[in-house]
Amino acid sequence: MNPQPYVAPTIRRVSQASANPQRLGRAPVMEAIDGVAVTRLLETHGSPLFVFSESQLREKIRAARAAFESVYPHVTFAWSYKTNYLNAICRVFHQEGSMAEVVSGFEYEKARINGVAGSRIIFNGPWKTPGALRRAVAEGALIQVDNRDEILALARLAEERNGPIEVGIRVHVDTGTHAVWSKFGFNADDGEALRMMAWVKAHTRLIIRGIHCHVGTFMLDAGAYAIAAKALVELAMAAEAAGAGPVEYLDLGGGFASHARLHGQYLPPEQATPGFKDYAQAICGTIKQHWPAGRKLPHLYLETGRALVDEAGYLVSSVVAVKQRRMHDAKAVFAAYGKGGTTPAAALGAYGKGDVANGQGVNRRNAVVLDAGIHILYTTAWYQPSIYPAAMTTAGVQPTTVYGCLCMNIDVIREEAPLPDLKAGDAVVMHPVGAYNITQSMQFIAYRPAVVMIDPERRVHLIRRRETLEDVQGPEVVPEHLAHSNNAPAASGRHES
Amino acid sequence: METDSTRLADLMLNDRGFVFDPNTGESYQVSATGLTCLRGLQRGATVNELVAELVATCGVEPITARCDTDAFVWELNQLGWL
Repeated sequence: MNPQPYVAPTIRRVSQASANPQRLGRAPVMEAIDGVAVTRLLETHGSPLFVFSESQLREKIRAARAAFESVYPHVTFAWSYKTNYLNAICRVFHQEGSMAEVVSGFEYEKARINGVAGSRIIFNGPWKTPGALRRAVAEGALIQVDNRDEILALARLAEERNGPIEVGIRVHVDTGTHAVWSKFGFNADDGEALRMMAWVKAHTRLIIRGIHCHVGTFMLDAGAYAIAAKALVELAMAAEAAGAGPVEYLDLGGGFASHARLHGQYLPPEQATPGFKDYAQAICGTIKQHWPAGRKLPHLYLETGRALVDEAGYLVSSVVAVKQRRMHDAKAVFAAYGKGGTTPAAALGAYGKGDVANGQGVNRRNAVVLDAGIHILYTTAWYQPSIYPAAMTTAGVQPTTVYGCLCMNIDVIREEAPLPDLKAGDAVVMHPVGAYNITQSMQFIAYRPAVVMIDPERRVHLIRRRETLEDVQGPEVVPEHLAHSNNAPAASGRHES
Repeated sequence: METDSTRLADLMLNDRGFVFDPNTGESYQVSATGLTCLRGLQRGATVNELVAELVATCGVEPITARCDTDAFVWELNQLGWL
């Protein structure tokens, strides 16, 4: 007879909420990603490991394009490099017809290396170096001007080139549902943007061909885009009336929500996240409603990133330690109905046993330490990834704190994830993590992991190898006077007097 | 009223690991091995015997079973059950 799977003897006090075994739902398991066993991925590439699904990337961009192209005649998606600029990821989107949307000279260079022509690059961002700006102008990129200084720099460049430069102007709009992103561009609500467009027309050789507005990030209300689209159409018409037109394109930026879940978000993503059709209706329906009848509709550019890549990304990690975390809630308090106080039985001294212990020792929560940390999961500051065991288990689900591997108290991936009892060596899969975690990860304490992509034929491709010491130390220089260490092995042993 | 019961003996357990402590009105959930240990203790088993049972039934290495059982017994002591 096979022995029973070993789970350590544990005891947990049952609170009023946890008395309901369905409270935490089922314990879904993720044994494979796109048909490739998680255990095989770890055996081949080590742990932790980022995994991307090429099929899901392609399905997402195709769904997004279909949603918009079915309701609007001229629409182009541009892949947001900062969301994930692994070359393999970018090239999938470029193969699917996406332009590149970049926000720095570095990203511009990456797009060019990925084979994107300058005229197929949208150049955004509040700071573009003179060199990058000069190159973008020379190569015909769609530059979205962010501020006065950039306008002046481009105006000087136009004089230097003795010819016009076509640009777009970035604006911000109060959509009423989100903090206004006033860091970027000119205010479209109080007349600043219109004044600047007229000024550019009157005093420079710049030609404003487009208006750009990025409403915000992770927009769960598609209606915000309708407000922004209406404001952009009105600005375009006002600019034309002021002699600063015609505006040929509108760029509504990005910000479509993925199926990630915000901390404190009540509804699950399946209910809270709008679909591409909702965003398409809000944007395209509004433009068509307010654009003058009979006029050719402006070209529409979209730069959404998160909604296209987040769900295609997984992080496989391994449990390296199991802990019990003492909790300080409601330990001697009768929590039912929120009345507080001491439990009735304890107050009455039931069974006549006299003083009873208050149970501090068992008011604990399972906790696990993973071999991945928040240095590669930057987005866990705002979102709570789902965490799935990579193998079937018979243990019941209970609240589990998931710590990262860093020697930092802030390294908590999930405060309370519903997980079965796990043991060291068990693998888990975190999802969705495809947006921003690669680009915002930092080298800190541990090496950054390898990244693989599974193609539609279930072949696994290494698209970024694991970091090495040489990668980290390569840029460092040790001054000559520090070249010799005082910590060579001591002849007399470790402890010298 | 004098009784000859103990806190440990008073505990009400079911096969799914649900434990009710009538002295406090508190309820607890123990793991399968925790249930094995708790029932063993109610029968008067020693820690060594509990460890041996876990090793025999789960195939766990003895030092792991000893480490976890000691921690479990410590928790029961915290509750005043032992």
